[in-house]
Amino acid sequence: MAPANVSMNVRKVGDTVSIVDIEGEMTATAESALMDAYTAAMSPQTRAVILNFTGLEYMNSSGIGLLVTLLIRVNRQKQRLLAYGLSEHYQHIFELTRLTDAIKLFDSESEAVAAARGA
Amino acid sequence: MTYRTGAETALRLHNFWQVLTRRGRRVVPAQPAPAVQPAPQAAPPTIEIAPNDPLIAYFQSVTGAVDIQKLDLDSPALRSMKAAGVQTAVPLVSQGELIGLLNLGPRLSSQDYSADDRALLNNLATQAAPALRVAQLVREQQAEAQARERIAQELRVARLIQQTLLPKELPALQGWQIERYYQPAREVGGDFYDFIDLPDGRLGIVVGDVTDKGVPAALVMATTRSIMRAAAPSAASPGQVLAQVNDLLVNDIPPNMFVTCLYAIFDPRTGLLEYANAGHDLPYRRCVEGIQELRATGMPLGLLPGMMYEERTVTLQRGDQVLFYSDGLVEAHNPEREMFSFPRLRELLASRPADGGPALVEFLLNQLTEFTGPGWEQEDDITLVTLHSTAGVADVDVTAGQGERPSGNGVGEWREISAFTVASEPGNERIAMKQVGEALQGYNLSAKRLERLKTAVAEATMNAIEHGNENRAELPVAIQLLASDEAVKVQITDNGGKQIEPNSSVPDLELKLAGEQTPRGWGLFLIQNLVDEMHVISDAAHHTVELILYLQGDRHASQAT
Repeated sequence: MAPANVSMNVRKVGDTVSIVDIEGEMTATAESALMDAYTAAMSPQTRAVILNFTGLEYMNSSGIGLLVTLLIRVNRQKQRLLAYGLSEHYQHIFELTRLTDAIKLFDSESEAVAAARGA
Repeated sequence: MTYRTGAETALRLHNFWQVLTRRGRRVVPAQPAPAVQPAPQAAPPTIEIAPNDPLIAYFQSVTGAVDIQKLDLDSPALRSMKAAGVQTAVPLVSQGELIGLLNLGPRLSSQDYSADDRALLNNLATQAAPALRVAQLVREQQAEAQARERIAQELRVARLIQQTLLPKELPALQGWQIERYYQPAREVGGDFYDFIDLPDGRLGIVVGDVTDKGVPAALVMATTRSIMRAAAPSAASPGQVLAQVNDLLVNDIPPNMFVTCLYAIFDPRTGLLEYANAGHDLPYRRCVEGIQELRATGMPLGLLPGMMYEERTVTLQRGDQVLFYSDGLVEAHNPEREMFSFPRLRELLASRPADGGPALVEFLLNQLTEFTGPGWEQEDDITLVTLHSTAGVADVDVTAGQGERPSGNGVGEWREISAFTVASEPGNERIAMKQVGEALQGYNLSAKRLERLKTAVAEATMNAIEHGNENRAELPVAIQLLASDEAVKVQITDNGGKQIEPNSSVPDLELKLAGEQTPRGWGLFLIQNLVDEMHVISDAAHHTVELILYLQGDRHASQAT
């Protein structure tokens, strides 16, 4: 497998919300980075995880598969997954795959954080 | 490993010991038999000794007869020998290497082997081992000499095929002159060229190169030449000729071979040169404006069926020169391991005085000799074919110089925009995306729709890499871009390994989240939803996914670039 071409930085916004900044490619090679980021984002108080796609360069069907896997884990923890910063093209792909039903999309970080806190 | 028979064994001492070959796997067929008289039983079993079996090291370290039944060693071969009833074995060791074994079963008298017996056996082994070694060396030498002779013979055959089929004479054209140079490398490559007389006084010019060397390349070259000669007179355009030749050749050519080929049709009355190119080095035209590459895209012949070839035309003016050549020139190395290279060739063509001096072929060969230095062993075949107007021509009817333009005629509604391949390695779908994105700049596609097409191309290419070609980097994924007035089309072709059935199971997020479907499996779904049409074309050897996106607005907005 080719080396991952992605970095995932985790930021905690208060006790209940974590943000994962995704920079680079969401492909099959991003699997361990994404799952590690989720583990780092988790605490007993965490209620929502926000994916920041502002730095996303490329996502393919394997990357979408990874998001589904992440969603399953997040749902199991009774948490919510939110996202912002997706380009119009990838918003379209989220709509096609109906990921938008499960991952609420926002235009900005502040809107996503406000929604996550309200959760 | 087979049981060795007498015919295969260089040296035999009765039938109670067998020989271990030096070059083969370390396999010792054992044949336990009484030392006193021939064995009454059937053929004894074969015993294999793996290269890492500790028994080998043990036999190399001992001298003389070994009592096998009493030997204690964790060795699969030893267990087999014991099971086969080998009582005593005498290693044949020469220069520290185990080259054979004398295996003996129990004495018929049912007594143990005596000290005298052992001394006799040891003596025998000491004398047999060097003799056996010599016999093995002789056999190896004979095999090597035969192999050398076979290679030399193949080279002679390859050269003969090649030279028999190349044109003996140069075509005579009114007002134009053709020169050629052809020199095969020692290990004959697959270069060829041909001149084909066409109706109306036109001339077909072929320059090609078969991958591979020797007899296989020569045979493919001969086939290509014949098909080309058959197709050329009746076809309307050079692109059609290449397309026909490709479709015929693709069934006959070994899977790892292909042919690059440039085909041009020249009309000496008008100076019109129509050409199409199946992945061959681009010819150069030297004209008053400078040096021009005669560029046309197309896949090499014999890789994939159904290819189309871009066609271009150029009208040669008085004083113009065109050089067709093979990679043997540009890929020649000097003693510093620098390559002759395209830029150098281009510079030389540009720097050459317009008039006077030796002919172009001679000029280039002089430059090549200067570059490689004396004593250069030619690495690959070198082919040069030049076409230029003869001085003082009065009857060349030169039409207004249009330079290059796409002709587009004769290739039907779809025109090829570009064709390329990517190696089947994960991540290479990004290359395909990028190239498709760049090639379709200037077509009437919104940024949004172009993004969708690019993602669909990436997904189809990923499938081709992972499934069709099973991640085997040496297999290419071929991508061809075509345009008509209404739409663009991308064809992604692989070697047809495993395939995902379209619509086998439509991915459903709810089912996936409930664990009733795998989280993956979005690829085909995305492709189908991102383009206007998706078609799958399969034959025994290839699998093609065809993606179509309609252009917007003006029907004639698209421009071949």
